[in-house]
Amino acid sequence: MNKVITINLNGNAYPLEESGYEALRAYLENASRSLQGNPDRDEILADIEQSIADKFRAVLGPYKTVVASKEVEAIIAGMGPVEGDSSGPGTGAHSPGAAAAQDRPAGSAPASGGSVRRLYRIRDGAMLGGVCNGLAIYFGIDATIVRIAFVLLAFVSGIGALAYLIMVIVVPRAKTPEEMAAATGAPSTAQEFIRRAKAGYYEGMKSFRTRREHREWKRKFRQEMRGWRRSFKDEMRANADEWRSNWHSHWARWPACAGGPHYSMPFVSLLKTLLDLAFLFAVLSLVATRAVIGFHLPGGIPLWLGLIGLFVAYGFLTWPLRAIRHACGRGAWGPFFFGPVVFLVDFLVWAVVIGLLLWYGLHHSAQLREFVNRIPPAAHDAVYSFRQWWARR
Amino acid sequence: MSINEKFIPIKKGLLEFLVLKIIAADQVYAADILRALSETEFATQEGTLYPLLSKMRREELVDYEWKESEAGPPRKYYQLTGKGRERLRETTDYWQKISGTVKELGQKPGAPQT
Repeated sequence: MNKVITINLNGNAYPLEESGYEALRAYLENASRSLQGNPDRDEILADIEQSIADKFRAVLGPYKTVVASKEVEAIIAGMGPVEGDSSGPGTGAHSPGAAAAQDRPAGSAPASGGSVRRLYRIRDGAMLGGVCNGLAIYFGIDATIVRIAFVLLAFVSGIGALAYLIMVIVVPRAKTPEEMAAATGAPSTAQEFIRRAKAGYYEGMKSFRTRREHREWKRKFRQEMRGWRRSFKDEMRANADEWRSNWHSHWARWPACAGGPHYSMPFVSLLKTLLDLAFLFAVLSLVATRAVIGFHLPGGIPLWLGLIGLFVAYGFLTWPLRAIRHACGRGAWGPFFFGPVVFLVDFLVWAVVIGLLLWYGLHHSAQLREFVNRIPPAAHDAVYSFRQWWARR
Repeated sequence: MSINEKFIPIKKGLLEFLVLKIIAADQVYAADILRALSETEFATQEGTLYPLLSKMRREELVDYEWKESEAGPPRKYYQLTGKGRERLRETTDYWQKISGTVKELGQKPGAPQT
């Protein structure tokens, strides 16, 4: 006894045996992959689909209502592998036909350029939480490379471990076969195909006489798909928000908050101000001398990469600080007053620190004193030239 | 390597020419083209033909229109465009030159032509 799966091709239902359905799915998936980048991909796939439907119809009769797996396989073999670019000299990249397409289950198929692929954690063959596995499938690269990248990042700055933890929490795990298929981008190919057929996509397509109407239809369909993707993104964002608020409530229990935010906040602000200044100094020194506190940027690395690294390090260092501040402040003043209060505290601390630095500099550095003395005439000049420019307009 | 295998790239290259010839003779749909080719050395499968047809349409060599069929859904019937006819003429000329060359090359000068 075999399970039967009914598919809809051009508005007609065709019952297939389950393994035949899988073979067909794999074939269409392969076809879609080799047509990657072909502007007529959808149309060629629709033609192929139509032709398969014709062949199914020939097989079925009044006393035969199900297409057997063997028949599906024979039809697929008769169709031949879909060739990406018929003008290209060699098509060695294509596996010959259905046989190769079949022994590749949907889950392990290397994904490439699916329009609605989703990021999932994949536990099959995972080492920890399946994050690297999921990312590898999402980007169509080897999982080992992703793992190495994560470990390296973890050693260099801790970002890798942190990102991994975040993703374990934020990225959902693929549990159902549908989610697995979504992870590999299959919806953009065969399953998407069937979904579109269900939505009347091809039903609509064949009724258009001119290419313009056809294109209009395609455009509308794409729009719908975009909306779909957007709602997924919103969901991800909501997940991240929830996670962030969990993180903050965790830090709110930190001893610094125990004394009340009114006391700890200025200190946290001060610490952050000092870090900000250090960061500013590091950026200036990196740009000016390509070195930070004796650490020289290796010759092969461009400056912008160094700056990004610096920025990441800064973000990483100040992150707990920001989280504490956020958590304590939000708990004490509520979300509404939180922003203005923090701004005020920050501003006061900044003013005090800069004032102290200036005072110290003026007493101990002749250079700085000279610079400050030159400010009024320079400012006067600037205002004068601006006035002149304005008057000329 | 069999002769058949050796000629795969050549046959591939000639396919567009042959499809142009078939479409020039009559308004056809994809299965007609496949049928016309199936008896020859150029037997082709859907997986090759459909991408080729869509490429030719993109190059404006052929165009199609939907036509009702007696059994089943409407079909795309292909026909040549002006550009396609021009291409067919050029290719035919070129092919005649090539096959002439293949015939004559290596024959002793002055030898009786067969």
